[in-house]
Amino acid sequence: MDKFLFGQFQGLLKREVLEHRNLFIWAPVILGLLIFMIDFLVISSLDEDAKISFIENLARFFAGGSPLEMAPAFVFPTLPFLGILYICAILYLTNTLYQDRRELSVLFWQSMPVSNFQTVLSKLVAIMLIAPIFYVAVIFALYVIGILWLIISGLSYDIDVAGLGYMFLTATLSLPIVYLFTVTSALWLLPFIGWLLLFSAFANRTPLLWAIGALALILFLEGFIFRTQFISNWIETRSDIDNFLIVDYGGVFDRLFSYDMLIGLVVGSIFICGSVYMRRFVD
Amino acid sequence: MRELIKGKILKNRYTLLLTVLSAYIAVVVIEGAITGRAPDWLRFDNSLFTLDLRDLDELSEIDFDF
Repeated sequence: MDKFLFGQFQGLLKREVLEHRNLFIWAPVILGLLIFMIDFLVISSLDEDAKISFIENLARFFAGGSPLEMAPAFVFPTLPFLGILYICAILYLTNTLYQDRRELSVLFWQSMPVSNFQTVLSKLVAIMLIAPIFYVAVIFALYVIGILWLIISGLSYDIDVAGLGYMFLTATLSLPIVYLFTVTSALWLLPFIGWLLLFSAFANRTPLLWAIGALALILFLEGFIFRTQFISNWIETRSDIDNFLIVDYGGVFDRLFSYDMLIGLVVGSIFICGSVYMRRFVD
Repeated sequence: MRELIKGKILKNRYTLLLTVLSAYIAVVVIEGAITGRAPDWLRFDNSLFTLDLRDLDELSEIDFDF
């Protein structure tokens, strides 16, 4: 990719982040603040002995352990962030191309030396690769603040806090797993991403309703006319969280290099290709 | 081929949508038929629980008295 194209793409990504900073930045920050406040209130409500025993137990649990082996333990506390990321992703994908047409900014972007393919690709990269970075950064900040607070509290009670250092290492090593999980799950769910983008580019109003309605209609017609359930079965296996949940580094390769991932990428590409061509119809 | 794409598929947004959805259905159905994926809506199987709705025959025998 030459320098001009790279600069163009960087500009498109910057535009996506700036236009959707509520979903990309403020949503995880507010969730992080909420979680921190709840934790703070719960721990503050403990009496002194309970606090000492809590910090001692934490330090003892992580002391001397292998941070790499214990990292999966820190994946599960990040699930609220991942839930919010998925909700924000649905909102983003259903509105992004629709909003461009509603505000007529699509005409401006089509007058620029930027192709429809580049625009759609920038939206995909923004939600699949860039948005998780902000979420992981907020989780990291939450870990740093939380563990620093535990260390300062531990030192003030004269507790051996060496184990909390291991805890910090473990938490930090879990972050790449969380990021890889979000990226791998986004690839696994590419058909859903493409589907939402397609209807975002198609619908004149209420794109989410169109996306859900069209899916329901296809499922109904398949069952009613052909008496088969291939599509419903395919959707069921694709949306089963067991098929894309990753809690360790080994799971990433198993998920990435599989036949099911490949067929998902093929189907997702059909929808994405459709949404690129759909952008030429501006009412 | 180019004429078909420009004249028919890219004629308007509805023909494009129908083409994309047809391609999607064709890929999923052909892939499902080749791999022999067994359609089974009534069975929910995951790491947390397994529920087969066909085994719930006794539900019909429950007499609700309101």
